[in-house]
Amino acid sequence: MIRLYDVSKHYRSDAAALEGISLHIDKGEFVYLTGPSGAGKSTLLKLLFCAERPDRGQILVKGRNITRLKPREIPHLRRTMGIVFQDYKLMTSRTVFENVAFPLEVQGKKRIEIGKRVYQAIREVGLEERMSRFPLELSGGEQQRIAIARALVVGPDILLADEPTGNLDPGVTLEIMELFKRANARGTTVMLATHSQEMIQRMPRRVLTLKGGRLTGDEGS
Amino acid sequence: MIPYPILRALRNMKQSPFLCVATVGTVAATLTILALFVLILINLQALTGRWSQDVQVRAYLDNPLKGSETKEKADALKKLEGVEDVVFVSREKAYSRMRQRLESADLLDGLSPEVLPVSFEIALEDERRSRRSIEALVPQIQSLLPEADIRYGQQWLERFESFVRMFSAGALVLGSFLLFATLFIVSNTIRLTLYARKDELDIMALVGATPFFIKAPFLLEGALQGALGAILSLAGVFALFHGVFREGLGSLLFSVGSYEIHYLPGNYQLAILGSGVLLGLFGSLSSLRKFVRIGP
Repeated sequence: MIRLYDVSKHYRSDAAALEGISLHIDKGEFVYLTGPSGAGKSTLLKLLFCAERPDRGQILVKGRNITRLKPREIPHLRRTMGIVFQDYKLMTSRTVFENVAFPLEVQGKKRIEIGKRVYQAIREVGLEERMSRFPLELSGGEQQRIAIARALVVGPDILLADEPTGNLDPGVTLEIMELFKRANARGTTVMLATHSQEMIQRMPRRVLTLKGGRLTGDEGS
Repeated sequence: MIPYPILRALRNMKQSPFLCVATVGTVAATLTILALFVLILINLQALTGRWSQDVQVRAYLDNPLKGSETKEKADALKKLEGVEDVVFVSREKAYSRMRQRLESADLLDGLSPEVLPVSFEIALEDERRSRRSIEALVPQIQSLLPEADIRYGQQWLERFESFVRMFSAGALVLGSFLLFATLFIVSNTIRLTLYARKDELDIMALVGATPFFIKAPFLLEGALQGALGAILSLAGVFALFHGVFREGLGSLLFSVGSYEIHYLPGNYQLAILGSGVLLGLFGSLSSLRKFVRIGP
């Protein structure tokens, strides 16, 4: 599903965000990407959804070399992915329903289908009573659940999450992790960046460890 | 079913009413000024054209001609090159015309037609209505009517035409300046909206929206605001035309030449509407380029 071949990324000439990363992730895997702050976790995820380009190396997603994608092809790649961020990245001027519906509107789905799928996605995260609210009226945990609903509503092949529980308390963290677990159980490949060892211990899966931009560990595969 | 971009554009406008009013107001103000210039210009040009049609040479004689001499002179004048028609105006006819033109005809009470001169009105062919042609013709007329006082309004008309040309040039310069200033203001107003929504634009790109999908509502928003501004300006000019111009300016022009002023023709109104739409559209476009980026 995801393959990286000797991928490097430099932001400044003397500082490598990533250096010589080679790895592969199979379809349906659940992988943690861990390491201290500045290890390159977020950079790696950004390369996967083409927010950044590597300075060296190749990245294949579902057999397609995304390092060669033209700008107009990037939206189509992102439509097959779900992305969850630490700061939720919800559109505050739109309701919960509209936020979750947006990826389907982008794909040109019909209103009836959008309504059905959005309701299902929001119900799955347990927030069907919040559909007409705005994001800022919700708690942090609720907002993150809505962000996950938005990521999952398109039925993505790949779910990328960058520190999704970084701003949440432990109780809510467990609920969020349960959602990722369920998505993975349905066949979605999940790649989750975190520096929380506690989370990894609670729900053990394959762990890729980054340090100083290099892949220093690959355990549990 | 309203298409998504239009729905979104209407919602964006509803969410930022102040900015929307600012943009619409700016476009309306600019196009009102431009429309007023155009209105004045087309009426001046029509008036100039009309006057130009009426350009004649008049040969005044203090003493009327004897007997058949009037007809002989008229026939001789008609044979001159460039002359289309010659009309003899007797004292009585001149007196009658004056009574018709003056609003207070009782001013002429006590005056007899004998105080007025007789005249030959010499109408020219279209292509001979230039100052040069008339000045070439005048000596020929003078030779046929040695005692005549020959008058023609061409000099005045050419000065007026020159004024209209300057007015047009001035309107063009001012109009261009106003349009650029409005484009700048509209662009910056929409830029403020985009700054406020930058996060939203980034999120749209992250969930797979194409640049067109992201930009379309904002472009439509700009076009709608421009169209609204244009409609307001046309309504304002229409109100001014009927409330002020028609009475005031119309009376002035009527008194000098029986001319009625006209409102902007349909194609000009469409051009104003089109200008408003384009102003809004390009104002949006110039701002969007900076804000919508998909890849690295």
